[in-house]
Amino acid sequence: MNWSLFFDLTVSGLTLGSLYALIALGYSMVYGILKLLNFAHGDVYMIGAFVGWYTLHALGGPLNPTISGAAVLFVMFIVSMVACGVLGVAIERFAYRPLRNAPRIAPLISALGVSIFLQNSALLIFGAGFRDYGTFDLIGVKTFNIGQLFFSVTQLLTVVLAILLMIALTVFVARSRLGKAMRSTSFDREAASMMGIDVDRVISVTFFIGSALAGAAGVMFGLVFGQIYHFMGFIAGLKGFTAAVLGGIGSIPGAMVGGLIVGLAESYATGYLPQGSTFQNLYVFALLILVILIRPSGLFGKAAITKV
Amino acid sequence: MRRRATAIAALLALGAALAIVAGAYATPERAAAPAADAGSAAASVKCGKTRTIGFMAPVTGPAASIGIQQVHWAQYYVATYNKTHKTKFKLQTEDTQLGAPTGTAEALKGAQALAGSSNVLGVVGPAGSNEIVGVTKSLKDAGLAWVSGSSTRTSLTTDGTRTGYMFRTVPPDAVQGTTAANFILNKLKYKRVYIIDDQESYSTGLADAVEARLKAAGATVSRDGVSQQQSDFSSLIAKIARDTQIVYIPWQLPPKGQAFGNQMKAAGKGTIKLMGADGLYDSSFAGVGAHVYDTNFPLNPKSKIIAGFKKGHGGDGEYFGAPTYAATQVIATAIDRACKKGSATRASVRAAIRSTNIPAAKSLIGVALRFNRNGDLSTLHKFGLYKSNGKDFVPIAG
Repeated sequence: MNWSLFFDLTVSGLTLGSLYALIALGYSMVYGILKLLNFAHGDVYMIGAFVGWYTLHALGGPLNPTISGAAVLFVMFIVSMVACGVLGVAIERFAYRPLRNAPRIAPLISALGVSIFLQNSALLIFGAGFRDYGTFDLIGVKTFNIGQLFFSVTQLLTVVLAILLMIALTVFVARSRLGKAMRSTSFDREAASMMGIDVDRVISVTFFIGSALAGAAGVMFGLVFGQIYHFMGFIAGLKGFTAAVLGGIGSIPGAMVGGLIVGLAESYATGYLPQGSTFQNLYVFALLILVILIRPSGLFGKAAITKV
Repeated sequence: MRRRATAIAALLALGAALAIVAGAYATPERAAAPAADAGSAAASVKCGKTRTIGFMAPVTGPAASIGIQQVHWAQYYVATYNKTHKTKFKLQTEDTQLGAPTGTAEALKGAQALAGSSNVLGVVGPAGSNEIVGVTKSLKDAGLAWVSGSSTRTSLTTDGTRTGYMFRTVPPDAVQGTTAANFILNKLKYKRVYIIDDQESYSTGLADAVEARLKAAGATVSRDGVSQQQSDFSSLIAKIARDTQIVYIPWQLPPKGQAFGNQMKAAGKGTIKLMGADGLYDSSFAGVGAHVYDTNFPLNPKSKIIAGFKKGHGGDGEYFGAPTYAATQVIATAIDRACKKGSATRASVRAAIRSTNIPAAKSLIGVALRFNRNGDLSTLHKFGLYKSNGKDFVPIAG
């Protein structure tokens, strides 16, 4: 057994998995409340990466930042999360809310439309080229180790920040008044409304939080992997969706675990399976199909009971 | 138990379905739409003051970053031509969305649109070798010739299917592959090589050519592939043995090469040499470090044409698109020749392309533009070799 390869693959899988988990949370939260598959979510993540890039350059760029590197990173995350949160709220307000009482296929089509709209808008506004985050210039090439696990500074930042955001979200949903309202709305929207909960506000907050997490994931992606482009949201969104379904769509812990499983599966497939890097997506989606066939509601999902 | 059996049965069914779909995609020419009106091939078109060139490129989709370079270079040729001539050219652009799930179908749609447009006398593009296979029937049935500035699969011009219709201003994989392999073997004298293609036909063709030559010479070659969509190379890099002497990545997207090089450095493997192909000939890839090599057609970065282009594009040479400038030049020159008497047919344009003879002094790619019987450049037998100085590529002896 080549342990060095195993640990390298594990670190790579955890990093990717953290990104997928953050994206999956947005899918899961929205599905939990609206029973809507928000296929535009991957593109919100892409917009988040671009907002991070523009913020970085507004602050002088990676070579000559006007404030310290840590402060630049902090501002990039905040600006991107807020911008994506607002974008998420706008998408819900204009593309999904008018269709709330329409047949379920209508908002799904609308979601696909928003996805294509965002992709092509990005192409028009940002251009077709790749943007380089210049992470080495901003942060440098540093590595840390925990035992035999070697992390680059950006990988460590990604995993730690993702864990912190997921803990914060879990506490928010479990302890806060608004979190309680989100859980109630998810359980029974009509009953929640009758109990005086402002369902529209709860849905907007859900979109804000889910999209803000996607924005953070977009910046993390730029920092770890260097380059961003207008089409990056498509496959990442698909993987995030896979993670959400694998974990049990609608379940927050499920989205987190699902993300990590998908990330690790992708990484180990690349390292160990025949032609793994070529067919990693085949292996990941085969895993999804297998899990769904054995456990249709996902790892943490609950089977829906229909009262008749 | 029953669930497990169901799961296995479902996976087998999925495999069978995938095989059927793959089979369908493997024979795109059979799946092509009905032939365009055969009469359009022989129809005489009044040339008029403004002539139309069909243009196929991935304007949107995953490969838009290179497609847009081809668009820019084609537009640059047309703009400079129109400034100095009484007759004008315009491009009728069709987006092929190379690399998107519907890519080849979009290319086919575009080819049919150009075939049905009677003003179009010749086509620049398409970009990808798979696209060429997909559009061959539509363009041929309509009598249209096409000149590609980036499709390099060797068999495209040697299998006889497109003779007299397809031409290209880039040399086939065999030429570039031989140059790269000979350099690795004879100049660098390396024996442990890792090759990674980007799963596109441009890349797999080149990787195959280099792999075959290196193996024949007794080198130890490891081979892998990675999707053009991917930006995370960490798992792949973990697989590259530390005693590897050079990693050959014939990819199409320079920023991906840059990301790969930077991630190699982050993984502590920055001392392993890197080598790209013409698709990575760009300062972003050269900027990875002085351990980076590349092959490219013998462009002269100091030429007036390139200087003019860079001036209009923020200082960026976008060299991947340069052969598309040459392709546009070939089509435009042929249309002008065919239009000498005021009208032309697609057949007369094809004949004019076959007898193209643009001297090296007027050619952007450093050699005269003349085609052999197959439609390949008869003047380009070797690629140029380059090494990074940390910022840009500089020519070196092979």
